[in-house]
Amino acid sequence: MKKRMFAMAGVVFLAGCNMTNGDQQEQELSDLTWDEITAEAEGDTVRLYMWGGDEGINRYIDDYAIPALKEAYDVTLERIPLDTNEIIQKLETEKRAGQDDGTIDIIWMNGENFKRAKENELLYGPITDQLPAFEEFYDTESLDFAYDFGTETEGYEAPWGKVQFVFHYDSSKIDEPPSNLEELSAWIQENPGRFTYPAADDFTGNAFLRHILYGTASSVDTLLEEPFSEEFAAGESAGMWVYLNEIESNLWRGGETYPGTLEELDRLYSQGEVWMTMGYNEARAESLVADGIFPDTTKAFVLEDPGSIGNTHFLSIPYNSPSKEAALTAINFFLTPEAQLAKLDPQYWGENTPIDPSKLDGDNLAGFEELDRGATVLSQEALLESFVPEVDAAYVPWIEDEWINEVVSD
Amino acid sequence: MKWYQTSKPAVLLIPALLFLLLIVYSLVMAFAESIRSPEGWTWAYYGELFMQRRLIESLGYSLSITFVSVFLSVLIGWAVVRWFYSFIDEPGGKWLVWIPMLFPHFVWGYFVLLLLGQSGLISSFFYQAGWLSSREAFPVLTQDAYGVGIIITYLWKEIPFVILMLLPAYLQLPKQYGEVIAVLGGGRKEWFKTVEWPWVQPVIVEITLILTAFIFTAYEVPALLGISYPQMTAVLAYDWFYGAAWEERSYAFGLLCLIAFILGAIALLSFALMNRRRWLLSKSSHQY
Repeated sequence: MKKRMFAMAGVVFLAGCNMTNGDQQEQELSDLTWDEITAEAEGDTVRLYMWGGDEGINRYIDDYAIPALKEAYDVTLERIPLDTNEIIQKLETEKRAGQDDGTIDIIWMNGENFKRAKENELLYGPITDQLPAFEEFYDTESLDFAYDFGTETEGYEAPWGKVQFVFHYDSSKIDEPPSNLEELSAWIQENPGRFTYPAADDFTGNAFLRHILYGTASSVDTLLEEPFSEEFAAGESAGMWVYLNEIESNLWRGGETYPGTLEELDRLYSQGEVWMTMGYNEARAESLVADGIFPDTTKAFVLEDPGSIGNTHFLSIPYNSPSKEAALTAINFFLTPEAQLAKLDPQYWGENTPIDPSKLDGDNLAGFEELDRGATVLSQEALLESFVPEVDAAYVPWIEDEWINEVVSD
Repeated sequence: MKWYQTSKPAVLLIPALLFLLLIVYSLVMAFAESIRSPEGWTWAYYGELFMQRRLIESLGYSLSITFVSVFLSVLIGWAVVRWFYSFIDEPGGKWLVWIPMLFPHFVWGYFVLLLLGQSGLISSFFYQAGWLSSREAFPVLTQDAYGVGIIITYLWKEIPFVILMLLPAYLQLPKQYGEVIAVLGGGRKEWFKTVEWPWVQPVIVEITLILTAFIFTAYEVPALLGISYPQMTAVLAYDWFYGAAWEERSYAFGLLCLIAFILGAIALLSFALMNRRRWLLSKSSHQY
């Protein structure tokens, strides 16, 4: 009875918002041809919700994508910066409140956020089979696109980019960067206060911790193959907590606190408080150096052992997006070789493309091959050599909680 | 027209009531979320809440920071008004107090971070001037274990607030009572006990309540200037709400409902007591 009362209150309160019928629209949409979809999209506005903490990425959207999309399809793109988990929360709240006419048209995400969105049926799809650019230029059978941190994508998200985790250091202060966890630990000991990493609830901080997990677990292969369970994770992570507690006293501020976000770590690095920073994008330092935020002497390195975790990130459409046609049009545009090439350009984002080069014709291929990614980006060979795939998405929240218990709370 | 005349107060209250309705609605919904689990209604989240060391330590940390910030703000603000109120009432003095009031807490927090951080303006200046061997020699005042940065920000923002709240009370102090006390042979102690304290006490209680409720539950300043562990309750609730684990969202609702309930109860109780005192004051006082 009580339950019904609350539900009623919610319905009455939100009745004004329920104007369109989502189901009907969806059925119609999957019957449309691509030309009909782009025609339908004309004049619409698409709201792209995405993490906004990287100037280069923001510039790619604002200076390149928004005008290009407007000109090609007459679709107005709006970039709304928000942390990805908050986007998912917002969507969950909309679903709870029965708001079928939503506010989000495209979400940029991967990993545990996708898992959560898919499990709670927050997404519209499958969408990839409706995107001509995906069919034409991508290896549709690739495992990189079929699984996202171990979660089956089933076409609910379209691959937008491919990145690898790298560290950046100031070469005027460090001659030889460490190449494995032992050397990193030794370096931290010799240079107290000059290294730290973002807290575990930050995307980058969590990825850093997964590198430590890879390096201290019994073997990376068992970690990747064995399905996630708390008992298994607890056993495999024992070495990780020992390692983290060992380096803690020599971290920035003696490990008393950690930067809450990557932006904060970058600020510490740019002000010279710490000598290393890190990020889940091998090219992200390029635009930061060009803007004078990072010192000119910034260089990149990866840990050869345990390697550098890489992943694919994706674009999805929420179940209640008010203009799905325009969202599809925009996503298709982002997947085209032109948009991907502009994304690779270091003056914007500088990020690698998930396109299959064997499917590109001469002109397009030459563009990708000739592009100079810049001095702070490691060579493709070095990146490929150290590449390791992502572990099950369930590790992300688990590490987040356990890190509080094992590392910071004592 | 006549209807409007007779029910004017009710009409004027409508906007406030509508606003209140929204707050009550969200409180009820938040409470509903905190006792709803996939299996049905449950109080389990409230029980589990207090099994978490993270929360217990967070409560202790928040309470001590709140207590120190409120106590010092009220004490310093009160002292300033008490001894300088004629100066503050002048335009120059008013501006001095007003300036920190113009900025939001977040901006002021960021300002403190840029000013007092180890690589901040002051430490850089000392370093450049040769007074510090390295910037790290500067004391850790922001993002520190004791919440010094948080307390500094709150003091800087709340002392002016206390001053501005207390100023009218002091400007309207019934000075003629001073003469009565003098005639009856009383000193400054009697003046304080019989006139000043009864006069300002309701305002001070009100300020203390507002500041406690605000500081205990505010997010921005501790998020910016706090440390990774322990966190202040609002930061913890935010982490739970936006964290990747689904069931932690109910903890966030439970925690905030509990705080809202406790603060609401304290506020109601003290207003009930205050009103009685105000009523007595109005019965006993004279025209001035």
